[in-house]
Amino acid sequence: MANGTVRLALFREDQLNQAAEAITRLHEMGIEDEDISVISGMALSERILGRPMSWSHVPLIAIAGAVAGFLIAFFLVFGTQYLYPIRVGAMPNTPVPTSLVVLFEITMLGMLVSTLLGVIAEMLTPSYGPAGYDPRISHGHIGVLYTSPTNLDNQVRSRLSELGAVIVERPEVKKLWP
Amino acid sequence: MAAEAKPLPGSVVRGAEEEDLRAEHLMLDPRPREEMNQMVMEAMTKTTPAFWIAISVLGLVVLVCLFGVWIYQALTGMGVAGVRRPVFWGIYIATFVFWIGISHAGTFVSAILRVFKAEFRRPFTRAAELMTTFGLAAGALYPLIHLGRVWVFYWMVPYPNSRWLWPNFRSALVWDFLAITTYLISSTIYLYLPLIPDLAMARDHSTGLRQRIYRILALGWRGTEAEWFRLRTAITIFAFAIIPVMFSVHTIVSWDFAVGVVAMWHSTIFGPYFIIGAILSGVSAVVMILFVLRATMLHMKYFLRPEVFDSLGKLVLIFSMAWTYFFINDYLLTYYGGDAAERQVLLEHATGPGAWVWYLMLICNIVIPWLTLWNRRIRRTPWMMFIITTLINVGMFAERYTIIPMTLGHQRIPFDWGTYVPRWPEISIVLGTFALFMFLYLAMTRLIPMVPVWEVQEGHMAHQLRKVGQTEIPSITELE
Repeated sequence: MANGTVRLALFREDQLNQAAEAITRLHEMGIEDEDISVISGMALSERILGRPMSWSHVPLIAIAGAVAGFLIAFFLVFGTQYLYPIRVGAMPNTPVPTSLVVLFEITMLGMLVSTLLGVIAEMLTPSYGPAGYDPRISHGHIGVLYTSPTNLDNQVRSRLSELGAVIVERPEVKKLWP
Repeated sequence: MAAEAKPLPGSVVRGAEEEDLRAEHLMLDPRPREEMNQMVMEAMTKTTPAFWIAISVLGLVVLVCLFGVWIYQALTGMGVAGVRRPVFWGIYIATFVFWIGISHAGTFVSAILRVFKAEFRRPFTRAAELMTTFGLAAGALYPLIHLGRVWVFYWMVPYPNSRWLWPNFRSALVWDFLAITTYLISSTIYLYLPLIPDLAMARDHSTGLRQRIYRILALGWRGTEAEWFRLRTAITIFAFAIIPVMFSVHTIVSWDFAVGVVAMWHSTIFGPYFIIGAILSGVSAVVMILFVLRATMLHMKYFLRPEVFDSLGKLVLIFSMAWTYFFINDYLLTYYGGDAAERQVLLEHATGPGAWVWYLMLICNIVIPWLTLWNRRIRRTPWMMFIITTLINVGMFAERYTIIPMTLGHQRIPFDWGTYVPRWPEISIVLGTFALFMFLYLAMTRLIPMVPVWEVQEGHMAHQLRKVGQTEIPSITELE
C-alpha cells in the first residue's frame, strides 16, 4: 500500500494476546500482512502472533562464506606448497591428514565471519513495509506497525483501542543509526 | 533512582510455597521489562570510588608488570627469563595453555547450554562469553612474549617476501595460531550478536557519547520480526558451529605437545584430556566471575541467584570427575607401559623438588571438589563456591605447570636433566596478564549490559507454575 497512513499500536508486555488479536482484526479489515510489522523487545515467533514466516539470506551467506574459507584454506595448504615448497622429513609435500586442521579452521572462520557480515548487510539495507519505532518497545511494549487506507484510519484506530492499544500518531524512525 | 521490585500484573503470589519458588528461580520471578532495563542500566552506569581505585590499580599493574617488564625482556633478551636447557617452555607456555583453557567455558556455557536449552544459563551467558574473549586476548599475548624478538613477528605471516620465509602449514604451531585466531574472532562475534538488542535498549536509555556509541553498535535495531528472525538464525548457526571450533582449539593446543616425541607428551589422550581440563577451569572461572559481579554490581543479586551457583557447582563436580578419569587413564597406562623415560618423569612429578605442585594439582582438582560439591548447601553458598573454584583454578594452573616445565626437565637423556625455576620477569608478566584480564573485564562491565535482558524476559515468558495434584511445579513452554 503506497499511500496509506502509518500508525503504531502499542501494547504492554502483558497484552500479548491482545496484540495477536489486533493482527487478526487488521486482517479482517483488509490490511495485508505486507502492510503489518510487529516490533518487540524480545523474540516472538511468527506462530505466536499468527504472522507469515520471515525469510533471511543469512544461512546462504554463511554457506558461501564457508565455501570461500575452504577454497582459501585449500590454496594455502596445497597451492602454496607448489609456489613455496617446504620439505619436511618423512612427510609428503601435500599430505591430506595434516591439512585437515587448516581446512577445518579456515572454513569455519569463513562461515562465522560471513554470518556476521550477512547480519550487518541485512540490517543496514533498506527494508520494505512500514517503518517506525518507539523507544517504549525496548521497555517491553509490543508494537503493531501498520499502514491502513486513509479512509479506514479512524475505524482501525477505534478497533485497536478497544483492545487496550495506545496508538502512536507519527511513529517515524528517529536517527537510530548514523 | 534505584529500581524497586514490582511483580508483573497477574502474577499474584498465592502461598508460601509459591513465594519460595519465586525466590529460588529467577525465571519464576518476573519483573516488568522496564524495571529490568533500569536495573541493568544502573548496574552499568553507577560506579563507586572503589571501582575507580580498583581499575586504576589494575591499569598500573598492567602497565608496569606486563608491558614494562615485557619491554625490559625484549630489550635485554630472553636470558632474563628462567627458560634454558633443558626447559625451553616454561611458565609462559603454561599460562598460555591456562588462559586458552579458561576461554573455553564462555562458549561451553553459552553455546552448549543454549543448544540444549538449559534455562539456568539465561542471566549469565554474557558474563561467560566476555570471559572467553578476554581470556583469549590474555592468552594470545604469550606466543608473542615467548617469541623474544617480538618485532619480527610478521615473519610468520604467509605473504610472498624477499626473505624466502613461508609458514609450514603442516606444523602444529601454525595450526595453533589459526585455531586461536578463528576462536578469538568467532567468540567475539558470538559475544556481539546477542548483545545487539541490549545495545539498542542502552541506546534508548542513554544520552551523549554513550548513546552515540550504542547507536553505531546497535546497527539501527528496532526489534522487527525480520530482525529477530535474522538474529535467531545467526545465533543458532553460531551456537552449533562454534562448538566444534571450541573443541578444536584446545585439542590443537594439546597437539603442540602431543605431536612431539617427548616422554609423557606423545599421547593420544592429550586432546580430550586438555578439553576436559579446559572446561573444568573455565566453568570454575565463570563461577568466580559471577561471584564478583554479584558482590560488586548493583541489582545482580536479582539476576544471579543461588540456583545459578548450584547448577554450575554440579557441572564443576562432573567435570572434576571427568578430568580425574582422563588423568588416571594417562597416568596408569603410562606407568603400566614401563617405558623407562616416562616412568622417570612420573617419579619426578611425585617425588622431585617440584612434587608439591603435583600434589597441589591432585588436591585442588580432585579432593576439594569431591569433598565439597556433592553438598547442595555448599553449592548454593556463593562465597564458598568462589573459594572452591579459585582452588580448582590453582589446581589447573599446577596441572599445566606439571605437564610443561616439570616434564621437560626430565627427559630421555639423564645428563641433560634440569630444574626450571621461573625468574621475576616471568612471574611479573604472568601477574600482569591476570591484571590485564581483570582490567578489561572490569572496564567492559561499565560499557555493555552484563545481563541479556531480552533473554531473561524470554525465559520469564516461557516459565510458569503449573498445578499438578496438590502442588504447583515450574513448567517450561517451548516458545520457538
